[in-house]
Amino acid sequence: MTDKHLYLAVFADIDPAVQAVDRLRELGVSDEDINIISGIPVTQKMLGRPRQWTNVPRLALGGAIAGFLAGAFLAFVVPYLYPLHVGRQGIIPGPPTFVVLFELTMLGLMASTFLGVFLDSRFPTYSPKEYVPAISDGRVALLFVCPADMEAKFIQAMETCGADSVQPAEAQKL
Amino acid sequence: MSQTNLPDFKTEQSLDETGKWGMVIDQDLCTGCQACVVACAMENNIPIVGESDAAYNRAMYWIRTERFWSGVYPDVKATPFQPVLCQQCGFAPCEPVCPVFASVHSETEQLNLQVYNRCVGTRYCGNNCPYIVRIFNWRDYKRPEPLDNQLNPDVTVRRRGVMEKCTFCVQRIRKAVDKAESERRSVADGEVQPACVQTCPANALIFGQIDDPTSQVSRAAASGRAVKLLEELGTLPRITYLKGGSDYVRNS
Amino acid sequence: MSATAETSEQFELGKMREEHLMLDPRPRGEMNSWVMDAMKTTSWKFWVIFAVLSVVVAVCLFYTWGYLIAEGIGVAGLTRPVYWGVFLVNTVFWIGISHAGTFVSALLRVFKAEYRRPFTRAAELMTTFGLVQAGLSIFMHMGRVWLSYWLFPYPNERTLWPNFHSPLSWDFLAINTYLLASTMYLFMPLIPDIAMARDRSTGWRKTLYRILSLGFRGTEGEWTHLRTAMNIFAFAILPVMFSVHTIVAWDFAAAIRPGWNSTIFGPYFVIGALHSGIAAVAMVLVVIRARMKNMKYFIRPEHFNALGTLMLLVSMGWAYFFFNDYMVQWYGGNSVTDALQHFHERGPLGWMWFGMLILNIVIPWATLWSKKIRSTPWALFAVGLGINIGMWFERYIIIPISLTVNYMPFTWRAYVPAVEIPLSIGTLAFFILLYMTASRLIPLVPVWEVQEGQMAHTLRKVGKETIVSVADLE
Repeated sequence: MTDKHLYLAVFADIDPAVQAVDRLRELGVSDEDINIISGIPVTQKMLGRPRQWTNVPRLALGGAIAGFLAGAFLAFVVPYLYPLHVGRQGIIPGPPTFVVLFELTMLGLMASTFLGVFLDSRFPTYSPKEYVPAISDGRVALLFVCPADMEAKFIQAMETCGADSVQPAEAQKL
Repeated sequence: MSQTNLPDFKTEQSLDETGKWGMVIDQDLCTGCQACVVACAMENNIPIVGESDAAYNRAMYWIRTERFWSGVYPDVKATPFQPVLCQQCGFAPCEPVCPVFASVHSETEQLNLQVYNRCVGTRYCGNNCPYIVRIFNWRDYKRPEPLDNQLNPDVTVRRRGVMEKCTFCVQRIRKAVDKAESERRSVADGEVQPACVQTCPANALIFGQIDDPTSQVSRAAASGRAVKLLEELGTLPRITYLKGGSDYVRNS
Repeated sequence: MSATAETSEQFELGKMREEHLMLDPRPRGEMNSWVMDAMKTTSWKFWVIFAVLSVVVAVCLFYTWGYLIAEGIGVAGLTRPVYWGVFLVNTVFWIGISHAGTFVSALLRVFKAEYRRPFTRAAELMTTFGLVQAGLSIFMHMGRVWLSYWLFPYPNERTLWPNFHSPLSWDFLAINTYLLASTMYLFMPLIPDIAMARDRSTGWRKTLYRILSLGFRGTEGEWTHLRTAMNIFAFAILPVMFSVHTIVAWDFAAAIRPGWNSTIFGPYFVIGALHSGIAAVAMVLVVIRARMKNMKYFIRPEHFNALGTLMLLVSMGWAYFFFNDYMVQWYGGNSVTDALQHFHERGPLGWMWFGMLILNIVIPWATLWSKKIRSTPWALFAVGLGINIGMWFERYIIIPISLTVNYMPFTWRAYVPAVEIPLSIGTLAFFILLYMTASRLIPLVPVWEVQEGQMAHTLRKVGKETIVSVADLE
């Protein structure tokens, strides 16, 4: 089993980075072993990458359902726990029920979307990571796995595509 | 009520249901002496707010005597005296708006209850009462000695931040009902008299059970002079006012 | 091409670049350093104002509120029949201001209005801080505020739950949902900018930003999750925003007081919120552009022009709803409503009614049609300030003044605010103080969104004209 190293190649713009991704594919690196880190969101289509999965919409839907059930509990179950007569309204009022259901459904939707981001991205995470601060200055970085014996070839390929720097990726505290 | 099978989100009470306790106020007999105001204050531990707060409409009397007039003596035109107290509405607007259920409807006495220890003081009920009969404890008003000896032990002493209003002297109602139950009889007509009814020197206030057609109050409410305050709002008040029969009013 | 044709074309392009932020891209590193600079550079004048505001907040807000709780609501100007006064006016006012942030960051995002990009965060901060003031004002008005937790639905051994028949309970649910949602919506696009700040800081700032950035790097996964969530939020928070102020309006419309029981209150209040809110955003942006370093690059007259157009449109919408409410009540002839309208216009505070109409309708309609006035920051500030004062008057008219006239004339009593005045000043000072603090701690301009927008804008020639082309990057 050949030794594999993580490398970080930093590019100034999107186009050279996309060329480099193609080059890496030609050199036999699979898509899973490539990760692109950028300072602005670059779409999958621009990068020519397979579609990125995300659980956020499913979690959002689940949260909305949970919120709806919580609202249904407050609207339909709770008034009977200690029934009190008020004004000219029945124990379960009509229109106010919609208000309660709506608000709690939306709260469930949004809270679960927010927590979904945390869950999917594994936030918060403070362990050391492969990163260079230049990325938040607008650079596009390629994080890829390369076999130890082909290092020179990969470095050369990246530099031909226009990389500003190609370094072994060190996991540092961010 | 609706003939269809759709859920009717209003209560099942029909519009002409009367409920138990009610009052008749005869405006042609009322002399405006305000003995009812004093008696109510004594019976229900109502604090004295002092001159400046009273001038700012913060006097805490649960019953007030209203009168409007125009002109200068001796050419004064005036309305009859109108004592206004909590109407104990059948469909009370103050009840649904309290966020913590401090203003609820009593099923047994058919009264509107104010639960002092649940009130958090949002004062929505005060805004939603069309008769403006709900009173708020704006401060902790002191009772200088020896006024603190006069407190009625049957009635809670309220602290600041709590809403209150006329209860038809529910403590007297409960006492009479308990006594009648222990003596295995029903409450006699005229046995229960709130402080204002008991005190009125002109006998202008009558109190009793309005679901009993033979009671004094039911017979008085059947008079041709009967009106209800703000009847068009549909609050179903339990108090009937009698007016229009007095010679003084007709000739002024 | 002749030399003059070339230079005039270049002159045109230069003008376009100067006017439009989206056509004037700079290197990301440069924009980042400008924003960091603006955040860290603090003059002595800032600290003087900060100190003054801190004193005002300590005295007028916290000390006075403690006095209010200890003495009771009696130290306020409330009385029978005006059970709600300036505290509720402030609550409605601050919730109105808070709607501006959501309008800018959500509604304008949904409608792909690119000019929103540099100031979404400045607007969203107004939402969060405005809701804080609204919450404080609501707590101030409660008689027994130490029991306010009873409005929260929690299981207890007496099986007592809040009363969901009451508009105040709906208020509780709606405002809390909105507060949580807008804080989350503020935080999500902030994460990449905090990561940028982390990369460019040292010392205590670096520790703070390290913790707050949650380990964000900008990987494909992180961006995808974030953008999906932001899209969901933008669509979801809009109905919540509309519902919040509608429910606040129902606090009044569900009551049977004359002048309150009006079916138009729901949409009337929502558009009133947008009216004062957008004007407040314009005011805040004028101050930010004038007083913070490098902000003249990000916030340009084109943004004030766009906000001014919105202000004019919303003013017309507000006038429509106001007239609906007024005309129908005037026509109806209910004697108490008649007396109420007379009291509004000819009572002792009639100047407030006319002032409201002049500040909310006459002045905006007279000034905001002109692009020159809209693009002039101080002029827009003045019009916006007038609108905010006019909207505060509107809520004062609806709450204490309308409560004075009711079905029982014997009880009519005018309202004179007492301790509410220092408390109102305190909430305003607290809002400004929180905003100033935030401007020192987080980057005020979402640079990644600005760069994303600049990437989407290109210039291309059609015939002899150079036009702007905007790509849809979703």
